[in-house]
Amino acid sequence: MLLELEAVSKIFGASCGACLDLTGEPGAICPDCGSVVAVNRVNLKVAEGEVLGVVGESGSGKSTLLQLIYQDQPVTAGRIFFNGITNQEGKRQDILTLPATHKARLRNRDMSMIYQNPHRGLNFNFSAGGNIAEKILDTNERSYDTIRSRALHFFTKIEMPPTRLDDYPDAFSGGQQQRIQIAKALSSSPRLLLLDEPTTGLDVSVQARILDLIKALQREMGFAMVVVSHDLGVINHLTDLTLVMKSGCLVEYGLTDQILEDPQHPYTQLLVSSKL
Amino acid sequence: MIRPSEVLFGFLDEDAKKEIRRALLKAVALPGYIVPFASREMPIARGWGTGGLQVSLSIITEKDTLKVIDQGCDGSVNAVNIRDFISSVTGVPETEDTTKASIIQTRHRVPEHQLTEGQIIVYQVPYPEVLDSVEPDTARQKEMHANNDYAKLWVLLYEDTSQFGDSRMASGYPVAVNDHYVMDPSPIPKFDIAKLNNSQALHLFGAGREKRIYAIPPYTKVAPLTFNDRPFQVEQFPGKACERCGCRDVFLDEVHLDDGVHYFCSDTFHCDTVLNTRGEGHAA
Amino acid sequence: MSTSACKLKVRNLAKNFTLHTLGGVRVHGFSGINFSLPKGQLLALSGPSGAGKSSILKTIFRSYLASSGSALFCRNDGSEVDLATCSESRILDLRRREIGFVTQFLKILPRVSALDTVARPLVEIGVEEAEAKARAEQMLRRLGIRPELFALSPLTFSGGEQQRVNIARGIIAPKELLLLDEPTASLDAKSSNTVLDMLAELKQQGIAMIAIFHDQNKIDRIADICVPVVREQ
Repeated sequence: MLLELEAVSKIFGASCGACLDLTGEPGAICPDCGSVVAVNRVNLKVAEGEVLGVVGESGSGKSTLLQLIYQDQPVTAGRIFFNGITNQEGKRQDILTLPATHKARLRNRDMSMIYQNPHRGLNFNFSAGGNIAEKILDTNERSYDTIRSRALHFFTKIEMPPTRLDDYPDAFSGGQQQRIQIAKALSSSPRLLLLDEPTTGLDVSVQARILDLIKALQREMGFAMVVVSHDLGVINHLTDLTLVMKSGCLVEYGLTDQILEDPQHPYTQLLVSSKL
Repeated sequence: MIRPSEVLFGFLDEDAKKEIRRALLKAVALPGYIVPFASREMPIARGWGTGGLQVSLSIITEKDTLKVIDQGCDGSVNAVNIRDFISSVTGVPETEDTTKASIIQTRHRVPEHQLTEGQIIVYQVPYPEVLDSVEPDTARQKEMHANNDYAKLWVLLYEDTSQFGDSRMASGYPVAVNDHYVMDPSPIPKFDIAKLNNSQALHLFGAGREKRIYAIPPYTKVAPLTFNDRPFQVEQFPGKACERCGCRDVFLDEVHLDDGVHYFCSDTFHCDTVLNTRGEGHAA
Repeated sequence: MSTSACKLKVRNLAKNFTLHTLGGVRVHGFSGINFSLPKGQLLALSGPSGAGKSSILKTIFRSYLASSGSALFCRNDGSEVDLATCSESRILDLRRREIGFVTQFLKILPRVSALDTVARPLVEIGVEEAEAKARAEQMLRRLGIRPELFALSPLTFSGGEQQRVNIARGIIAPKELLLLDEPTASLDAKSSNTVLDMLAELKQQGIAMIAIFHDQNKIDRIADICVPVVREQ
């Protein structure tokens, strides 16, 4: 198993200690102390090369879940196992207990995140090539020629002309900025790619091309993905498996076609029937 | 003129010195690591060498011999004033001779003469945090130092190499100390970076306005950040020599005069030494 | 292993739907389905519209979750996997290599040419791109698709042409168990014949198939087993 979450929770606010039990599907705000339970004891598994979708309405905790995996946010409780990492006794080790440098290495090398807002995923003070180079440099590569040729390789993979490699992100369109994020994310050859609403806000033709690109690259490179989207079309197009979240809780998990064609949970049925 | 008997030895009170010495000890123990200190008001304006001055005053003893240079020159106004001030509040002898000085306070240069064991060189530092250029958040900077995460600095190097063929950083080139902390060596030219590596002397850096101290202990590995397939390039003066002493293998100042550009040794003591030696040679 | 070895055993398979958005009303899908399918044979599901034939295929493919019963898939190593209850990862793995579904409707990327659409399954199992395209071309020609259409997206095709592209894609790299939902619907007699010939060839290769046909003549011609599905009231 590449990624495994065990009872992972995230509480915003000074928890009263009973928040997890006092909240759930009906609501994520603790009636006792007012803390917000963004993620409530979520278990999930992602195997090598698998593509998992996470759906749910705004505020259901799906983006927070992604940020917990990528360690953009500290986890309140629970354990995360990744990539077969073990401790000295050979037992699998919770990555949340790893030393900071080791955690940073996971984040820099073995995982990548693509954010909805390119300003979060790209450094606008660096050129497109510089942004891609940053991720390659994170893998401790220190040969300029290797870095340059890898950056160029991934830049052309996202169907951008090589002559634009040294341009700065604000000289690109929104869709192109998303592509540059993809090139950056993939340049460290990660095992796991996390995508947070990767095409939300882009017009449909651009969205389709980016989704095609992600799908083709996933087939070619074989990395696993966790895709957060409120758009069932995106989920249907990209993913094999889907989990449905509501008020921080995982309410349903299954094959994507099964979730869309034969949803079991009342909330999933509502979600699927609301599709345009 | 202040007379030594009228002020405390070294101008600073003993508590201030103690606080600065503590910071220095920590800095020496963690080569390249930036240590905060209180930074007192000095009788010169912040930004004019108050960091270096406080470090010098905290470590100086009656047995020391002092040299102060600004851009390699013992005779510039700032160097003279700082040297006079320290001397007046301590009574220690002054010198221009690099080899005879036990404490050398400097701005923007490392002397051409190789420094030896027992010598201390004190740098005046304007901007101590090397990560300021790539990361504005100080909390993040600390994390990056702790995690040895300097990818963003390397990106600057990548960008310059892509767009200009080499780094554009003319001075204050980032160096990795003891294979861990990357630091700003103060605005010395790239030419001087090699002198920091495995130096026999103790290098102390003081930033008065920014209230920071850091250090390179003797015999410490210091390496400029450089791609392994792009050799580190220092300033070169092809075909040029000092018009005074004729040296070529030193850092030259470019002086623009009405009749064109002239080149002279930046290190005035080195230039004088070469001339004197030659003069003796003629005499013999 | 002989061609008569069993590929799929369906036991008491049943499916109900609970529609929470309609106040929890329960809808009957099908129940009491039992059959065994050997390798190299084609099993036809027959019965009136609405009897649940497509639902049975979807339940075997796990697009629907079975309410009860089992569908044991027999692997070549002799082990059995219950498609109704095994893990999702297992299903994904089986779908990659062993179980294929040819739907009634074309579900493909609108931005990929007909030729690439059909060649794709071959490329995925490691066939060289040029070789895959040559074989795809051969199959499309045999199904009567005009060469000038090869480079176009199938979405621009007529219904019958789309259906043929869909079948070609579904059988070019045939998986051991194929589920075919009305593979000859909307095809003219000539194309239907070609498709039935192709299915017969697949049987020769040892592929097991479950298919839905509306036309009894076709069932008589191609099916080895016929399972009637009746609508329960």
